Amino acid sequence: MLPTRALRDCLDGDIPGVVSTCAADGTPNVAYMSQGQYLDRNHLALSYQFFNRTRQNILANPRATLGLIHPQTAQQYRVHLTYQRTETTGPVFESMKAKLAGIASHTGMSGVFRLLGSDIYRIERVEVVPGSTVAAPIPAVDGLSALRACMERLPASPDAESLLDALLDGLLEHFAIEHALVMMLDPGRSRLYTVASRGYETSGVGSEIPLGEGVIGMAARERVPIRISHMTSEYAYGRAMREGAEQRGLGDLLETAIPFPGLAAPGSQLAVPIPGAREPIGVLFVESPADMRFSHADEDALVALATQVGGLFRLFLAELELGEETQPAAGQPPHPEGAPLRVRHYPANDSVFLGDDYLIKGVAGSILWTLLKDHQALGRTQFSNRELRADPRVRLPDQSDNLEARLVLLHRRLAEHQACVQMEKTGRGRFRLVVDRPLELEDMDPGA
Amino acid sequence: MSPDASFHLDPELVRFMTSGISMNAGSGSADGTPSQCRVLGCRVDPGTDLVTVFFAEPQAVDLLRDVARSGKLAVVFSDPPTHRTVQVKGSDARRVPLAEGDLARVAAYRTAFVQCLLPLGFTEPMVRTFLDCPDAGLVALTFTPEAAFNQTPGAPAGSPWAPGA
Repeated sequence: MLPTRALRDCLDGDIPGVVSTCAADGTPNVAYMSQGQYLDRNHLALSYQFFNRTRQNILANPRATLGLIHPQTAQQYRVHLTYQRTETTGPVFESMKAKLAGIASHTGMSGVFRLLGSDIYRIERVEVVPGSTVAAPIPAVDGLSALRACMERLPASPDAESLLDALLDGLLEHFAIEHALVMMLDPGRSRLYTVASRGYETSGVGSEIPLGEGVIGMAARERVPIRISHMTSEYAYGRAMREGAEQRGLGDLLETAIPFPGLAAPGSQLAVPIPGAREPIGVLFVESPADMRFSHADEDALVALATQVGGLFRLFLAELELGEETQPAAGQPPHPEGAPLRVRHYPANDSVFLGDDYLIKGVAGSILWTLLKDHQALGRTQFSNRELRADPRVRLPDQSDNLEARLVLLHRRLAEHQACVQMEKTGRGRFRLVVDRPLELEDMDPGA
Repeated sequence: MSPDASFHLDPELVRFMTSGISMNAGSGSADGTPSQCRVLGCRVDPGTDLVTVFFAEPQAVDLLRDVARSGKLAVVFSDPPTHRTVQVKGSDARRVPLAEGDLARVAAYRTAFVQCLLPLGFTEPMVRTFLDCPDAGLVALTFTPEAAFNQTPGAPAGSPWAPGA
């Protein structure tokens, strides 16, 4: 039986593998490998960086032998392989490219190691090389029982917000993962926005990154986990992009107004897509100051958790479609005291400012503006998720759009801002708008 | 690869090949299946340039079989801290008895490789474990080096070795 776990450990470790090939005339060649990736029980991929003798040989004779040393036990393996094809785009390539960038940075090879392709090999046979070994250390976390404990609490969450809290709290409690966040995908704008986080100085809720950018953006775009054991500036997101924002327009300024909460000097990062019916609904992201913090087993566990979270999100969506909701009752006309606060709305990007402070934009901004207009015109305070979903003023980009995630974002932004407007849950799929100060609503382009 | 009678190892390359760095060897079967084994030290005889490399016999069964058939052997030498890598090839490799001083040479190689890897975060027990082999299990292959290639990562990788590379 294939020692799957051992192979994955070997390919994850810091000990480079050795690849032997033979030319057409039988002349052997031996080369050190920069990076390998376990794909499945029958396949692995090796990085193709230079057109060298190994490359020439496998094109002429597809047989290769990969020598590996287990990073904890020193057990040696020989994996007998047959070259199949080279991929230059797609999930395997992008995941290896990110990982290789980390290895290159860690080994002082930035600028030298550039992935030209992922060479896909079929695993023909694995040989356990006779020799001495040492006992593997007992891992600090038992991944399977941690996963079980983490998963048990997720289905008990009544809504999206408590689900995300349960997820991030569970990662901390059971996996000792201290820095984590969840970003949701806004498919219409090809961006991800932060809806929940743990372990950072500021929550970063509302911060955005473009699809395809950095570890998180690439995981979402390619729909594949991206795990980097040695962080590299190539995949870092944040600071450089925020700098110089002043020189750009309002839209850019708003996108950088809420800082991304990531660690300044991460050692390891892991981004796992949260699957939706079609495209991912978001990304679960964890990081650590330590190198090599996240193993293949952690990746497995987070993929399992993200799959469950994705399923529960779709359940919330289905409940919204099918659920019996009572028509929200008209609230008492509000009579808040105090000096009025000017609230501005820019229809171009649905950004909303409370006084001079930017609060939110996009669909969540549009939701807030709709709530405030109804509150002012009709005195309404009670709202339901379902009616918002159907309200044309909200302009949800798509029927499958993740309204729940937008409401989580809006709720958290208002709470973090200690705004004079707050949302309070009143039941499943329902909430109350609490306004404790008179508001002056000003649409900056009323004709729009 | 055509044998090049004029090929010689220069002293600096010999020093590199016999230092405490990572070494692996490969050969191939008649049907083109590559064989491979970790090398546990290297000796280069002054004057003749003959290269002798040491293996743990239980690990080298396939390699020894393939070398006995073809004589073809490739040995790659790599310095982990600098990634400087050179591959040396021969086509007349043959099994020879260990010479006097070879056991001490292998023991010294292990210690030197431990010293090489300690600064990179590897532990001594770890390194000694994958280099472990009882003296009675050590075997040697000797060959005449016919060509060497620079394999240090980068654009020139694969080019014939030149002194100073």
